[in-house]
Amino acid sequence: MQEIGGAPSVEPVRVRKLVTYREAIVTEAGLAPDRPARRASVAAVVGNPWSGTAPLTDLAEEQERIGPVLAGLLCDRLVNALGPVHGIEAFGKAAVVGTAGEIEHAGALIHTPYFGNLVREALHGESIICFADTRAEAGESLVVPLWHKTHAATRSHYQTISARVPDAPRADEIVVIAAASTGPRPHPRIGDRRTDPVVTAETLEGTPS
Amino acid sequence: MNVRKTVTVVEEVRVEGERAVSPPATVAVVAAVIRNPWAGQGFVEDLGPGIDANASDLGALLAPAVLEELGAPAEAYGKAAIVGLDGEIEHGSALIHTLAFGDHFRKAADATTLLPAVEKRGAAGIVFDIPLKHVTDATIRSHHQTVEVRIADAPHPEEIVIALAAAAQGRPQQRLAAFSTERDPSA
Repeated sequence: MQEIGGAPSVEPVRVRKLVTYREAIVTEAGLAPDRPARRASVAAVVGNPWSGTAPLTDLAEEQERIGPVLAGLLCDRLVNALGPVHGIEAFGKAAVVGTAGEIEHAGALIHTPYFGNLVREALHGESIICFADTRAEAGESLVVPLWHKTHAATRSHYQTISARVPDAPRADEIVVIAAASTGPRPHPRIGDRRTDPVVTAETLEGTPS
Repeated sequence: MNVRKTVTVVEEVRVEGERAVSPPATVAVVAAVIRNPWAGQGFVEDLGPGIDANASDLGALLAPAVLEELGAPAEAYGKAAIVGLDGEIEHGSALIHTLAFGDHFRKAADATTLLPAVEKRGAAGIVFDIPLKHVTDATIRSHHQTVEVRIADAPHPEEIVIALAAAAQGRPQQRLAAFSTERDPSA
C-alpha cells in the first residue's frame, strides 16, 4: 500500500493515481497575450473513506487525516508545474465523488481548513478559494473555477480549467483537485469594479433591450 | 507552425490491482494545438511543402518537452494527430508520419522502433487514446499501453492537435508471459 505522510499511529492515505494537466497559452485569437499565462490542475484519486458508512456519519476525523496529505501532494505538483509560487496568481479547487458516495463527502475533503487553509498557505494566498464539486461516473470532466489568490474580485483573473481523470472516480472513490494560474485570461478587457459605471435597473431605463 | 497553446499531462499510478506501484508508473504527454497548415485551401494535392514547413519543427518542440516532463528515460512511446472537423485525416497524418517529425523523438529517446500512433478527426474536447510501445522492441508485451487525453477546447475545426507520449516503464503490475515464450495455440 502507498504510504504518504501521517503520524505512525495514523492510517496512511492511499492515493491510487495523480494526474497533472498544464496548458500554456501561446496565442489567443491569433495574437500572443501581453502576459501569457500557464494554468494547471492536479487531481488525486483516493478511496472514499466513508464508503459503506451509515448516513449522517461524522466526517471530522477522516477529513483531518486526509485533507492535509492531499493539500501537500497537490500543491507540490502545482508549484512544480507552474514555476515559483510567487508567480502563481489565481487558484481554485474541486472534488468529484463517485456514485456510491454523498456530495457531502466531496465537500468534506475540500471545504475544511484541513485542505483549504493548507492550499492557501502553500500557494501564498489570502482569498477564499473558489470551487466546483459534483458526483459523477469515472471520466467526467469538471470545469474548475479560478480567481485571484489575494484579490478575489480581480475580474481579469476569473478563468477556468477543465480537469478529468479517465478512470476515476470509481463508485467508492473521490477525485480531489487543486488548480492554479500564473496570470489573467488572454487579452482581458472587460474592465473591473473600479472602472465600471453604475448599473442598476433604473440607470438602464429607456435602454433598448 | 502557428501554435495556439501547448498542453502537458503527467499521470502517476501509485496503486493498481489494490497493490502499491513503486516507484509510481509515470506517463507523460505533451501536445501542441496548431492551425491546420492546409486550412481553407480546399483539396491540396501536394502536402510536401506544408510538411516541410511544420513537421520537423513540431518534432523539435515536442520531443524534448515530453522527455523533460517524464523526468526519466522513456521505455515506451507513441504519437497522435487529432484533426479538427474541417480538415482531412491526411493532414494530421502528414505531420506525424514523417521521419522529419518522428526522428526528433527517436533520437532524444535513444529509440529505434516505429512510433505507434492515433490519427483521427473530431470536435474540440474529443477524447483520444495514444498507444505506446517499447522504444527499441515493439514485441515487448509488457510495454503495450495506452494513455487517454482530452483538451477541452481543441481542436477547433481549422486546427490539429499534435502530441507525443512517453512512459518510464511498462504497464503497472505487468505480468504477461513474453511473446517469445508463448506456446503456439495451434500446436
